[in-house]
Amino acid sequence: MLQTAFNGLVTGIIVALPALAVTLLFGVLKFANFAVGAMMTVAAYMVYALNTELDWPMLPATVAAAVAFGFMCILMDLVTFKPLRERGGLTLMVASLGLGFVLENVARLAYGNAARSYAMDLARPFRFMDIRMNREQMIAFVVATLAMAVMYVLLTRMPIGRAMRAVADNPALAQVRGIDSAAIIRWTWFIAGMLLAVGGVLIGMDRAIEPPMGASYLIPVFAAAILGGLGSPLGAFVGALLIGIVSEMATLVIPPNYRIGIPLLVIAAILIFRPQGLFGQAHIRR
Amino acid sequence: MSEIFRVEGLHAGYGAGDILKGVDLRVEEGTVVTIIGPNGSGKSTLVKTLAGLLRARQGDILLKGTSIRELSPPQRVHAGISYVPQEYNVFRNLTVLENLKIAREFMSGGRAKGPVVSDELVALFPELPSRFKALAGNLSGGQRQMLAFACALAVKPGLLIMDEPSAGLSPKYMTDIFDCIRKVNGTGVSVLMVEQNAIEALRISDECIVMATGRVRMCSPAASVLEMPDLQTLYLGDAATGQEPWASKSAA
Repeated sequence: MLQTAFNGLVTGIIVALPALAVTLLFGVLKFANFAVGAMMTVAAYMVYALNTELDWPMLPATVAAAVAFGFMCILMDLVTFKPLRERGGLTLMVASLGLGFVLENVARLAYGNAARSYAMDLARPFRFMDIRMNREQMIAFVVATLAMAVMYVLLTRMPIGRAMRAVADNPALAQVRGIDSAAIIRWTWFIAGMLLAVGGVLIGMDRAIEPPMGASYLIPVFAAAILGGLGSPLGAFVGALLIGIVSEMATLVIPPNYRIGIPLLVIAAILIFRPQGLFGQAHIRR
Repeated sequence: MSEIFRVEGLHAGYGAGDILKGVDLRVEEGTVVTIIGPNGSGKSTLVKTLAGLLRARQGDILLKGTSIRELSPPQRVHAGISYVPQEYNVFRNLTVLENLKIAREFMSGGRAKGPVVSDELVALFPELPSRFKALAGNLSGGQRQMLAFACALAVKPGLLIMDEPSAGLSPKYMTDIFDCIRKVNGTGVSVLMVEQNAIEALRISDECIVMATGRVRMCSPAASVLEMPDLQTLYLGDAATGQEPWASKSAA
């Protein structure tokens, strides 16, 4: 049981990175970006290319790919979302579905359907208090925790993070407080891109690198973001941990194949009983 | 007294039609100018256009003789215009201190030096320090208005534009807010405000502008407007009396 809970914790903390990206993008741009799955896939393949084709070690490959993917996200916004910005969240959401199809199939075109893995040495699992932890889980736990800590500092202690939260809170007021919304949108895409890249690599290490790898995480990612309250960074983190742990613990009583149903149940329950999520704010329709 | 702000033939609106139909006004340096007029006269549209939130379709807006018509809202802020909206004027999910930090950091364009909250600001808004850690959304209406006002003054502006600063406030906060406006004006900040509580606002104003149907109908010293026996018709218009508010007045 402790082992299952630990596995759930690791899954949850991996999901927290894309969930935070979803919630940041939703907060600032007011749309649900369904391309996040395919974005993680593309970033995972970028690291795969650097790691296996150019023989870069994983750390520099991940850092370089994360930065490059951050810039790619700014470019994707310029080409795909910016021209549609005035048409509302629904149009942007549909555009993100289209972008997701394109990105996933670009990865498929380049590397085929076969599952691949990073060039990493095999390592013995580590045991602590009857919990078996493999190296990939430990890396995922440390990297994702560090990334979330950096995001916490950025969002609460740094002017750029405060400005992102301000634009998410009230875009018109942000403008008359001197905040350049266009610059904040670029920063948001860059940071979301880096989070998605790191998330993609961790998923690739935990499972395998293949075209549908990101899409298979879409439901838990959105369940985490909705559970926490779309637009709430802290909510995304807590929501992801809860989704990860509850999904894994559920396998103690239901067949593992039905695990994916847990996040769907959570989404349904949250939308019925607390639509604003755990940390989101209730909106009053006037 | 030199002119700090001028609006010439301003047209603006939503959709196909213009709400502002050629607004002209000027603000002298160091004065308080209050805009009054009946509902739907275009007062809020005017201040939104001056702040840059609504695009001017025609005409010009000059700050210290330089056109700011093509500037974005943040650029206008950096040029010296500070705007306090009527509602949704604080970041509700951020703390009081974070609201003030944002104002200090971004309204100055990164040039602000010294503490986040100056002694002058604390003197004007003594309630604020005890609520630094509170979420702005949890403040009362009056406290929120004070916070919005404090944010607008986090970097000393050349011109402070306020949209109905006393709207929805209790009598105590209403008195406080007009008192603050008078004190801020005393430090050399010019003020242009839209206000429904005309009598209170005119008591601290130098000039009064009356708007109706998207145009300036009258511009007079505030003291002389206060003495008008039919003052109510100026800001309630025909809703109160069935009379056009500007019918017997001539534009100054």
